[in-house]
Amino acid sequence: MRGIALKHKIDWLNFLRIKEFGAVVGIVVFFVIFSFLSNRFATLDNLMNTLTMAAELGIIAIGVSMLMISGEFDLSVGAVFAVAPMVFAIMVNHNFNEYFSLFLSLSIAVGIGVINGLVTLKTGIPSFITTLGMMMFWRGILLAVTGGFPIMLARRIKMLDYLGGRVIGGLRYSAIWFLLLTIVFWFVLERTKYGNWTFATGGNLGAAKALGIPSERVKIMNFVISSILAGFAGLTTFARFKIVDPTLEQELELEAIASAVMGGTLLTGGYGSILGALIGATMISMVRNGLVLAGAPAYWYRAFIGIILIVAAVINARIRKKVAG
Amino acid sequence: MSDLLVQMKGIKKSFGRVQALRGVDFDVKASEIVGLLGDNGAGKSTLIKILVGYHKADEGEIYFEGSKVNFSSPREARQLGIETVYQDLALINLMPLWRNFFLGREMTKKIGPFSCIERRKMRRIVLDALADIGISVRSPDETVAFMSGGERQAVAIARAIYFGAKLLILDEPTAALSVGETRKVLEHIKEAKKRGISVIFITHNIYHVYEVADRLVLLEHGEKIGDYLRKDVTPQYIMDVIAAAAGVK
Repeated sequence: MRGIALKHKIDWLNFLRIKEFGAVVGIVVFFVIFSFLSNRFATLDNLMNTLTMAAELGIIAIGVSMLMISGEFDLSVGAVFAVAPMVFAIMVNHNFNEYFSLFLSLSIAVGIGVINGLVTLKTGIPSFITTLGMMMFWRGILLAVTGGFPIMLARRIKMLDYLGGRVIGGLRYSAIWFLLLTIVFWFVLERTKYGNWTFATGGNLGAAKALGIPSERVKIMNFVISSILAGFAGLTTFARFKIVDPTLEQELELEAIASAVMGGTLLTGGYGSILGALIGATMISMVRNGLVLAGAPAYWYRAFIGIILIVAAVINARIRKKVAG
Repeated sequence: MSDLLVQMKGIKKSFGRVQALRGVDFDVKASEIVGLLGDNGAGKSTLIKILVGYHKADEGEIYFEGSKVNFSSPREARQLGIETVYQDLALINLMPLWRNFFLGREMTKKIGPFSCIERRKMRRIVLDALADIGISVRSPDETVAFMSGGERQAVAIARAIYFGAKLLILDEPTAALSVGETRKVLEHIKEAKKRGISVIFITHNIYHVYEVADRLVLLEHGEKIGDYLRKDVTPQYIMDVIAAAAGVK
C-alpha cells in the first residue's frame, strides 16, 4: 500500500516539475474567464491577433529570460527596442540599402549588449545599474537626435513585410518570428551545453567557476542575446507602424521582466523557462485584449497586470519550493 | 616514473603583504589518502588552489604524474583528472541531479549542424554511477537542494570516480555533517581509494581524517610543520603539535 502511495506522490511531483506549470494554469483560467465575458474573444482571428500583440513583448522576454537565468538583468531592452528601428529608419531614409541598414541596426544592438556585459563584469557593478544607465543614455540620444519627433519611413520596403506584415487575418509575421525564436531558444536553454552553463552560472556562480564553466563568456553572450532580440522586436514593431517614436514603449523593459517572472523565471537567476516567457507575454496580451473586448476601460489593464504579476510570482515560488528547494 | 602522483616543491605565495605560503613541499602518492590539517588561515586552501590552477604560485614547481604542470584554470586541472569538491561549491542547488553531475562535461550528439545534449543517457548514467558506490536516489530530475549534506558529498565523489579522476581533493567534506553521514562519506572516500584514486582530505577535525588517512600533513602559518604516516602517530599527538605551533606564535 505504501509503495503505491509513494509512486503516486512522485508522479505528482513530476507534474509540478514542469517549470511552466503555473503559467499554463494561469493562461487557461484567463482564457475561460474572457471567453465567458465576450463571445468575440475565443475566435480564431482574435487569438491570432492576441499572439501578434504578444510577439513584440514576447521576443524581448525570451532574451530577458535567458539573461535573468544566468543571473543578470537588462533594463536597457526598452531603449534598444527604440534605437534599432530608429537607426534603421534614418539609414533607409538616407537611401542606404535596407539589408545593410538591418545589419547595422542589429549590430548596434549587439554592441550595446557587449558593453552592458563588459562593464558589468569587468567593474563588478550590478547589471541593474549598468543597464539603467544605458537605458537613460540611449533614450537621451534618441531624443537629442530626433529632437523628440517621430521618424516616418519615407519609402516602401518589401523586406519589412517579412518582419511585421500580415500573413492571414490578424496574424502577422512577427508572431511567426516569436514562435520560431521561442523554439530556437527553448532548444538552446534546455538541450545544449550552453543552456546547462546558463543555468549553472545563475544558480551558483562560484560552483560554476570551480567546475570550469566559462561563466563570464556565458553572461556576456546572454547580454548580447537580450539586446539583439530587443532590437529585433523593435524592428518588427516598426515594420507594422512604419513610424518610430523616440519615446516608443518606455516601460517595455518592466513588462518584459514581468512576462519572464509570470513564466516562472526566477529574478535571482538559476531557474526559468523560455516557454514560460512565451506564455507570460501571451498572458499579458490576452488580458489587455480580453479587457477591451469585455468593455472594461483601457486604463484598468495596468492595474490588472500588476496584480497578476504578484499573484503569479507567489504561486511560482510555492511550486518551486516544492520541486526545486 | 616515480610513484608520486603530485609533487609540489617550495611553493610560496603572498597576497599583498600577507605571506600565505612560505616555501611548502607537499606530495601525494598513488592511491594514497593524505589528510591536510591546520588551523584556519594556515594556508591549506591556498595550497590546494595553487595546485588546481585557481591561484598562481609566486615561486615553486608542481609536478603531476611526473611531468611539470602549470595550470591556468581549474578547468585544465580537471581535464587531467584532478577533481576538487569544495564545501559549498560542489553542486548547484536549483539544478536537477543529472545536470549537476555532467556540468561542464555534458554528453552531446550531433543533430545536423547542432550539438544536442543526451538527456536520457545522462539521466540513466547518473543513477548507475551512484548505485555503483552504494547510493540510491529517487530520481535524476530531483534538484540537489533536497539532498542532505552527506548525499551531496557522495554525489560529488561519485562524479569524480565516474569521470576517472586520479586525484580527488575534498575541502572539509565532513564539516556540518551528522555522525552517521560522516561515517558514510568516509566509506565513500575509502571506496575511491580502492579504485586507485588518491585523495587529499582537507579538514581541521583530526578524528575524521585519522580514520581513513594513510598520511597526515600539518600546515601552520604557511609552513609545513609535520608530515607523519598515520601508523606512527596518535590523534592526540597531532593535536598537540598543531596547538603548540599555534601557541608559540
